[in-house]
Amino acid sequence: MTLLSIRDLKLTFRLWSGPVEVLHGISLAIGKGERVALVGESGSGKSVTARIILGLLQEQRNARISGTVEFEGRDLARLSARERMSMRGRAMSMIFQDPTSSLNPVYRIGPQFREVLDRGSPGISAAEARARAAQMLAEVSIREPDRVLDSYPFQLSGGMNQRVMIAMALANRPALLLADEPGTALDVTVQAQTLDLMRGLVADHGTAVLFISHNLGVVREFADRTYVIYRGRIVESGPTAAVFGDPRHAYTRALMAAQPRLTGGGLPDIPERDPAFDAPAIHHAAGGAA
Amino acid sequence: MILQIENISKTFETGSHRVQALDDITLAVEAGECLAIVGESGSGKSTLANIVLGLYPPGRGRLVFDGAELPDQRSLALRRAIQLVQQNPLSALNPRRSVGASLRLALDVHDIGPRAGRGARVRDLLAAVGLDPALEARAPAALSGGQRQRVAIARALACESRLIVLDEPTSALDVLVQAQVLRLLHRLRQEHGLTYLFITHDLAVVRNIATRVAVFQRGRMVELADTEALFSAPAHPYTRALISAVPVITEEEKAMRDRLGGKP
Repeated sequence: MTLLSIRDLKLTFRLWSGPVEVLHGISLAIGKGERVALVGESGSGKSVTARIILGLLQEQRNARISGTVEFEGRDLARLSARERMSMRGRAMSMIFQDPTSSLNPVYRIGPQFREVLDRGSPGISAAEARARAAQMLAEVSIREPDRVLDSYPFQLSGGMNQRVMIAMALANRPALLLADEPGTALDVTVQAQTLDLMRGLVADHGTAVLFISHNLGVVREFADRTYVIYRGRIVESGPTAAVFGDPRHAYTRALMAAQPRLTGGGLPDIPERDPAFDAPAIHHAAGGAA
Repeated sequence: MILQIENISKTFETGSHRVQALDDITLAVEAGECLAIVGESGSGKSTLANIVLGLYPPGRGRLVFDGAELPDQRSLALRRAIQLVQQNPLSALNPRRSVGASLRLALDVHDIGPRAGRGARVRDLLAAVGLDPALEARAPAALSGGQRQRVAIARALACESRLIVLDEPTSALDVLVQAQVLRLLHRLRQEHGLTYLFITHDLAVVRNIATRVAVFQRGRMVELADTEALFSAPAHPYTRALISAVPVITEEEKAMRDRLGGKP
């Protein structure tokens, strides 16, 4: 069943120098409990897509958005700013690349966690919030939840802060989690553990994930389905195994070829730009055929 | 041998807190090689780079460069001989200066080549790193990340350095740009006989560009091996843990990782 459906999404920024279209008609869908990746390089439009889903860019006066974004059957454009705000942190939530700067440095984790829980359960008591927070932190394998709740973000490691962010993002049982380059700022060993943890948790909770990343390896290991985005257009989509096992679009092939291999083989000569990258999109069917 | 790193230790103290950033590192950098220093944050890899560059002195131990001990205060000639290419070229280039002027400054400061030929030399350097010489008039902000990194590499080339320290030179770049910059670095090393000390956290990059690899963990060097040897039979458990955590995209890599990797 479809949880999020985006059809022909276009985004134009009005700048001093004139209008600039940055999304040229994106269509994508996420089913309930599905893990979907949006993979692309910087400037491809992956992060602005997330900001539109969250209803944040709609508030920005120089952004013009067309097309439809439906979440749980409701058209986001028909909701008021207040209604969109009430969705954030409850029906959908987000985790960011750098956990330490996403947490408020001048508050301990405990009060920040309570604020998150208060959005889902308004008026929750301090004692109940603390108990629920401790339980959520235990779910992300934090052994001393009480010590963490009494800490400031700077007293915790980057990996620990990332776990806190994941626990907060899932605290109100959202239907959709937007994860923008999670773990990119972390060491590879910590990143691997964090992704394992996140994968397990979203499966337990039945949470759908839109996983935004430039890292092909991480996407391959995390997502059920993958969309490849290039300069504001989806160029290839399908089951992750199909996209990685049989990339058909010139841009997807270039991305894969340019990725240095652990098995060696040297550094192939791949152009940074090629007219073939602008070729029409290729969609792999669920069965595997394109 | 270009550089001998002998029993280098370094401790940082902040108030009551002591961090042993480097613990008795001994390592030789051979002429013409690309020696990778691999580790996670806190491994000491950047501290080592900074000591080699003379940004701060080692706490203990010494550096021998071209047969002579390196002093803590570096002469202009020594600064020319050991150059740095850092992760973020935007912070390495003066934003108010055109990239041509930045390259020209390097030639002027070190008095490299006849004065009259320096303008042409700047354009040759840009061409050598695959840039259109007409870009010399641009400010760094008007270039892409990959182009800026090429300018930073051109500046190291301008100095005709004996040793180039590359500190995560492609970590901030997109994968298509990264591939081109890595190819450029590899080609320049072969054509000009350059020597690289390549600081990185990315083992897949290391596999494809380094000739030797030193693995650092919390200030200690836990493994040193030729690249081929390291990736066919990693000896230290930490090296195996690092390999097992690399996100990979092909079945062959996955099989290799599962074969060699330890527990992360």
